[in-house]
Amino acid sequence: MSAVNTNLDQQSIEQTEISLMQGFWAVLKRDVVTAFRQRSDMINPVVFFLMVVTMMPLGISPEAKSLSFLAPGLLWVIALLATLLSLDSLFRSDYEDGSLEQVILSPQSLYFMVIAKVLSHWLTTGLPLTFVAPLLGVLLALPAEGYLPLLGSLLLGTVTLSLVGAIGAALTVSLRKGGLLLSLIIMPLYVPVLIFGASCVRMAVEGFAIGGPLAILGAFCAVAIVLAPLAIAGALRMSVEA
Amino acid sequence: MNPVRKQRLFLVFFIVIFSSIAILLITYALRENINLFYPPSKIVSGEAPIDRTIRAGGCVIAGTVERSTESLAMSFKITDGIADMTVNYTGILPNLFAEGEAVVVNGKIDNTGQFNATEVLAKHDENYLPPEVAEAMAQAGSELQHQETCQVL
Amino acid sequence: MNWQWFHRLGSPRWFYEKTSRWSPWVGTLALMTIVIGVIWGLGFAPEDSKQGNSYRIIFIHVPAAFLALAGYYVMAIAGAVGLIWRMKLSFMVMKCAAPIGAVLTFISLVTGAVWGKPTWGTWWVWDARITSMLILFFLYLGVIALQGAYQSRDLSNKSSAILSLVGMINIPIIYKSVDWWFTLHQPATLKFTGPSSIDPSMAYPLLIMIFGFYCLYAWLLMKWTRLEILEQEQKTNWVKELLLTGGIKSSKS
Repeated sequence: MSAVNTNLDQQSIEQTEISLMQGFWAVLKRDVVTAFRQRSDMINPVVFFLMVVTMMPLGISPEAKSLSFLAPGLLWVIALLATLLSLDSLFRSDYEDGSLEQVILSPQSLYFMVIAKVLSHWLTTGLPLTFVAPLLGVLLALPAEGYLPLLGSLLLGTVTLSLVGAIGAALTVSLRKGGLLLSLIIMPLYVPVLIFGASCVRMAVEGFAIGGPLAILGAFCAVAIVLAPLAIAGALRMSVEA
Repeated sequence: MNPVRKQRLFLVFFIVIFSSIAILLITYALRENINLFYPPSKIVSGEAPIDRTIRAGGCVIAGTVERSTESLAMSFKITDGIADMTVNYTGILPNLFAEGEAVVVNGKIDNTGQFNATEVLAKHDENYLPPEVAEAMAQAGSELQHQETCQVL
Repeated sequence: MNWQWFHRLGSPRWFYEKTSRWSPWVGTLALMTIVIGVIWGLGFAPEDSKQGNSYRIIFIHVPAAFLALAGYYVMAIAGAVGLIWRMKLSFMVMKCAAPIGAVLTFISLVTGAVWGKPTWGTWWVWDARITSMLILFFLYLGVIALQGAYQSRDLSNKSSAILSLVGMINIPIIYKSVDWWFTLHQPATLKFTGPSSIDPSMAYPLLIMIFGFYCLYAWLLMKWTRLEILEQEQKTNWVKELLLTGGIKSSKS
């Protein structure tokens, strides 16, 4: 880890030669490795996704026709919930063992360190969810035209979900029981992503061009990449200072 | 360069790049017909896809509303000031549906170019037009003419 | 530039003393305009040609919806001022604005449902405006929940300020995205934007009601903030003095 000693002055920072990129990669690599060592955090959202999808035919109707109508929306809603579920642990262990403080104190800009952390969260939750989704689409009888748009929209959308959700995770990291509160404050912010994500799949199923909603999902993603790290960094500083 | 300044420069580049990506994507998306709304003129000219759920809107032309005597089936014509099209609908109309008023209909176009609506939504102000309709009319440059259609006919 | 007035604004004591003089005036103004607006709107404004008398709920619905939205911006801006200038008072304002805004949002949702029943034949439609109001309500609830979750007041202030700022950026996005997707809308409020879409005989009482609601909002916010000041500043000398001299009793009546 790139825990650089804090009382170094400007000159000796240069001597340590840990550039922004190196710091970024160090944080990213460390987080991904930790996630792989502690697989439950990675696997649980996917298992949750699978289980809730299984509930749907049991609860609504096993009939393929009604399922295939609901599939785009259902898959998106459940993927969103699975992401929410995984958010609570995003900064928690780092906060508890003090490494979060080290990252904040390091000379590398917190903005990019936060991006590295969120990116690793996405790599270990959003990305697996995205790749599992088409399989679950089969279970819900999603029409053939819907698979690629489902992949594409989830790929773009889960990045936004991770970024926006990380704001909530950073705000609630100092609370012992932050989980439910986190979902409460973040869910309203997920609405736009859900609307365009699900409508992208639905439009594809109905045979329309999906450039529009995909572009909007991409725009959300770009805006979130620029703005969310600011809020996350602010919230983390505040949580650690207190 | 001083590493702090380098970081700052990098940050600025980063923000500029992603903001411009966002703006590019939004301008692209705005040009797409994202809510699948088609005014009658586009439907008549064949720009709208057949047999897919779309949305259309316009003014109900007075005197074109025909109701079946046995069932709830009915048909009426809507216009955007350029072209009219026939809408078929079976079901109960909203209270505020009236001739000469603006409506938004959801449904599919069949092979004969008629619009089979699954849902009819009415407006309650005669001076109000749904934004989509108003936009379509502004593009057609016949907003006034259309308002007259809506009020006089 | 002279920022003295701005910093003076940050002093709870200054605010408390000023508002004890202002709040009766604002309160009376709110009461008067709302009474006039209600009587005019319910009693004298003409019936709507299509909707009959049921449209009269506009006189509560629209002002409440206006303030619900404006209230969110008040809250978020107060939060931002607090974050930037570390002003205790603006955090207090932010804290008090949240429940008032939530209640106003709730009122506009309920009156909207009551209005929807006679007009559309249903209590609830997933229409753009209604849905985004509901989400605004959830945003308020989130801010309130977050405020209550922390032991430390400082943390609770800062975190809810960050959340309301994030929400403020999101409100237009949420509104736009809901609007793009569910364009069913029967937007009576839009009568404002178009020319001649609402008759002056109905517009005047409506404008009066909106003004009245603004005053009411200001008055409520003042009152709540004053209570919050007393609670948070109870250890300071000036509040103790105020208590001893009975200043609170007289200002409350």
